[in-house]
Amino acid sequence: MPKITPDKLRPGMKLLRPVTNKGGMVLLGEGTELTAALIEKIRDMGADSIFIQGTSPPSTPKEEALSGLDRRFKSVEEKPYMDVIKKALREHIKDLYG
Amino acid sequence: MGNVAGIRDLRDKIENINALPTIPSVLKRLLEVIESPRVSLNEISNFISNDPALTTKILKMVNSPVYGFPGRISSVNQAVILLGLNVVKGLLLGVSVFELMQKTMIGLWEHSLGCAIIARLIAEKKGLKEPEEASVDGLLHDIGKVLLILRFPDKYEKAMCDTDANGISIYEAERVHYGTTHASVGSWMAQKWRFPQKLVDVIEHHHKPHLSKSAPVESAIVHLSDILVRARGFGFAGDHALMAVSPKSWQMLGLSEADLRDVLWAFEESLEMTEDLAL
Repeated sequence: MPKITPDKLRPGMKLLRPVTNKGGMVLLGEGTELTAALIEKIRDMGADSIFIQGTSPPSTPKEEALSGLDRRFKSVEEKPYMDVIKKALREHIKDLYG
Repeated sequence: MGNVAGIRDLRDKIENINALPTIPSVLKRLLEVIESPRVSLNEISNFISNDPALTTKILKMVNSPVYGFPGRISSVNQAVILLGLNVVKGLLLGVSVFELMQKTMIGLWEHSLGCAIIARLIAEKKGLKEPEEASVDGLLHDIGKVLLILRFPDKYEKAMCDTDANGISIYEAERVHYGTTHASVGSWMAQKWRFPQKLVDVIEHHHKPHLSKSAPVESAIVHLSDILVRARGFGFAGDHALMAVSPKSWQMLGLSEADLRDVLWAFEESLEMTEDLAL
């Protein structure tokens, strides 16, 4: 999976997406190669997860995964709160692909 | 079926499932141990330790992210002490019974494992004291399906065919074919196996968690886990119909979209570490 928690970062990994602070300011750009010092800084920031290059996304194409989601929700999406659940799943599936 | 006598007859047949010639002898002995009224931690732990294959499976499970002790449990004794009798009993039943299912309902083990992981994650998020118990709830919530399949394989196959043909859920199809559902069947046996009342209640009410009296929070957790695992497209539980969340239970859990995404993400990470839990 392209998204990992800071404790799994290792020197030499490259960022797939920029690391930003809470305000959205870019601290480390896309493609940055991580060093032990940078990893320590990322951990200190308390970031939840970091996107890393070269890790494999799921084998099903993204479009297929998302249309599968639509199909599964078809008969229940009008029901109360199912829109929140579906939205969480949709964003989650997108994250799986980085 | 569907009348009182019919249901009683069905319950008898399910409760005496141990007499079926198709039940492997290891499982028969295990069910006897589980059912015995005064089974001790020692007996359970000896039973597991005497069977190397079972020991491996149990240790793999307790050290997996399904439970909260990754890589820290090295013996069955330690597992039993850390997790408690009921959790180990549930685990033992889970790993032994689902093995019989691999051909009839491919994906039910994955579905159950997925629910076990998500139920624990939600329980942790909600600050429940014993999140491992939520994993057992998740692992065993569909045990009734296994029992119905073992006892009436042909009929269950028809019920499964009905789901796609008539656009109904397996829960509804069971009602048509048996006059009752896997939720009730599972709770009968959970009672017979002397599981805690809360677990019996969760199994009975995981489709209608707002009706649960003794375990409303736990039932809501398993209900939502069931929906999330299916919505994620992980495993297979007998049909392709997603059930709508019970509004009351959803409100009771009070989870936000961000909470769900946290849970789902932690679920993916757990899955990566659970790949070798195939039975």
